[in-house]
Amino acid sequence: MSTKTEPVADAAPVKTGPGTHSPPGARDHRRQRPVAVQHVAGWLFSTPFLVLFAVFMALPILATLIMSFTDFGLRNVTDPFSAEFIGLENYTKLFDDEKFLKALFNTAYFVVVGVPLTVGLGLVAAVLLNSGIDRARAFFRVGFYAPVVTSIVAIAVVWRFVLDPSDGLIAGLASEVGLTSPDFLGSEVLAMPSLIVMAVWRNLGTVMVLFIAGLQAIPPDVREAARLDGASTWQEFRRITVPLLRPTMLYTSVITTIGYLNVFEEPFVMTQGGPSDSTLTVSLSMYREGFNFFHMGYASAMAYVLFVVIMAITVLQLRLLKDNTK
Amino acid sequence: MSHMLHECDQRPPCGSRNDCTRVMYALTGSAYIGELKEEPSMHRNARTASAALALAMAAGITACGSSGGAGVAADKKQTLTVWAMGAEGEKLAEVAKVYEDANPHITVKVTPIGWDVAHQKLVSAAAAGTLPDVTQMGSSYMGEFVELGVLEPVDTKTFKKDSFFPAAWEQGVADGEVYGVPWYVETRVLYYRTDLAKKAGITKPPTTWPELQQAATAFQDKAGTQWGIYFQPSGLDTVQSWYPFLYSAGGSIVSDDGKAAMNSPETVKALKEYGTYFEKGLSKKSFQPGYEVLTDFNSGDVPMFYSGPWTMAGINDNYPDLKGKWAIAKVPADQGSVSMAGGSSLVVSKDSDHKEAAKEFLSYLTGTEGQKDWFKRSGDLPANTSAWDSGELANDANFKIFRDQMETAKSGPVLPQWTEISSKADEAISQVTQGKASAEDAAQKAQSDIEGLVE
Repeated sequence: MSTKTEPVADAAPVKTGPGTHSPPGARDHRRQRPVAVQHVAGWLFSTPFLVLFAVFMALPILATLIMSFTDFGLRNVTDPFSAEFIGLENYTKLFDDEKFLKALFNTAYFVVVGVPLTVGLGLVAAVLLNSGIDRARAFFRVGFYAPVVTSIVAIAVVWRFVLDPSDGLIAGLASEVGLTSPDFLGSEVLAMPSLIVMAVWRNLGTVMVLFIAGLQAIPPDVREAARLDGASTWQEFRRITVPLLRPTMLYTSVITTIGYLNVFEEPFVMTQGGPSDSTLTVSLSMYREGFNFFHMGYASAMAYVLFVVIMAITVLQLRLLKDNTK
Repeated sequence: MSHMLHECDQRPPCGSRNDCTRVMYALTGSAYIGELKEEPSMHRNARTASAALALAMAAGITACGSSGGAGVAADKKQTLTVWAMGAEGEKLAEVAKVYEDANPHITVKVTPIGWDVAHQKLVSAAAAGTLPDVTQMGSSYMGEFVELGVLEPVDTKTFKKDSFFPAAWEQGVADGEVYGVPWYVETRVLYYRTDLAKKAGITKPPTTWPELQQAATAFQDKAGTQWGIYFQPSGLDTVQSWYPFLYSAGGSIVSDDGKAAMNSPETVKALKEYGTYFEKGLSKKSFQPGYEVLTDFNSGDVPMFYSGPWTMAGINDNYPDLKGKWAIAKVPADQGSVSMAGGSSLVVSKDSDHKEAAKEFLSYLTGTEGQKDWFKRSGDLPANTSAWDSGELANDANFKIFRDQMETAKSGPVLPQWTEISSKADEAISQVTQGKASAEDAAQKAQSDIEGLVE
């Protein structure tokens, strides 16, 4: 795509189009190489990306779409072309599948509670670190960001210890004050909230870093003007910080929502989707159908349903949170 | 992605891993970080898609590419490729060295594969027609690969059914044809704390279901243990914990003639018995993935549990203080004392050009001497019964118990959709242990789910 605009800009005085150029070797040949050559160069530079994109993204995405209309199963692994087209059957089956509906519900639960918490706490952490805390700022920043770069395995080990009902951290603290701690991951009611807390803790850092960058881009004179006009801290936050952070907020919400709609790792390592499917998410369910049970066609249909949901929600967010200040 | 996915999930075949849960967690965890790490993304869909496509493409390529080949005679100079999983993969390389010294014309190239990626790797290789000459196959994978048509039937004149434990042999048989030669086996027995048993007034290990329940109650009441016994309440592979009940009652999930049997009276009885341990608070009701029963066994919170042979080494290595305070016994009986059998078989690829040499290598590995040597190196229990006739395996009291248990143990049917079928049984068991459904209702539901899968 970029190759298209370039010749126009570059060769502005000349009529573009093949054949109208002055021959190479003319005085200004440096500026006016033939368009064809520029095209070749452009394509050449884009080739690595285009090839990788086509092979690892576009083709698989297309193949999944096709597969979602077939009964692709174990047998088709060695003989893919014998998979039969079954039209929309996978999709109609999906919406009769209690498990899938449950997974959809769980995913929605995770997103609806998790995203506002992550974005909200990320904002609070960013504001505090940006202005409130002067000492050990780097220490706190690293502290909040560390979970983002820590492997999920290590996180799972630590959180299992924290949540363990018999000798975990919370259970230990609770027994100190004479309470008994609930069995977080073993309870259908508490398992999902526990995972949400863990996910919020894990993703807070990314959101915080983005907000800090956004905060530092807010011109100090705007704040100063507000203060001169007698704005309280809260008013300043509400009327200056939040509106000016809107583009950052849009970006973090979209990214976090997409990430949370795809949630897989947390339930996978912590609960395997249990107890009684109370933490089974769409991605986890898809993974099981596809790679444990080899219902590739069915799993592909799930992937597409999730894809459409993500698309729709993202478009909606872009609309709702559009930057109206311009 | 593949990697996928690891997929983890890919779950290791039952029985072939040491300490299933723990290993699985450690592995699966690590497996997918690489892949799924933190991209907030639509990419994950794309990735799933790409894995699927990679399979499809690989398959497409092979459709035209592979051929059986005439094969190389066993006495020609050649290289055998072998894939083995986990610890076995590493130990097998040592055996390969020894074998090469004795057979200079053969080079054995062993590739160890982690259990976490094994399933995916094998499926991809099957699709691409690049399976090695010899592969270690966990019992729960067998059905799938038979279905894929990539395994060479075993020559039953060279490898004889009566050399092996019956359940070990059955793990390699599908539709009446033999595809795998049993390599090593495992079965589950009862582990219990003898010191606490004394306190609880238990003088001999429980041998029947009612005795087991009385013992569990006595541990709690008289010895003051937190739980009476540990059985896995829910989650992936709960069936493995339940099999000793199922088989002892004479039930099955899928009968020998391939029909769903979840609602048979025997199966319902086993479900009900399993459920009472949770109902009475004798076994912990909530499931923690990654739960390590030995920690609680050591502390005395859990005085009894069922486990496989690897746990003996686990106790000796990690809890030397427990020496002399624990013992094992056959699983308590209903109609009989029948435990589950697991382990791994060795298979030869249909496309291999070295079938003759592979056969000789397998004969060595599964013969008496090879099996004894393997037991010394790995601690895996030999599948070949003749290896049990002398030495430690014949004289040690604990190994005698394992041998007895193994003689009658049962393995699940070799079916391509076994993973899915057993997941339905997992669900039924957890419904019962969590008190959400009666054994009858849970069994009925699983019955209709499984009927849909086996027909």
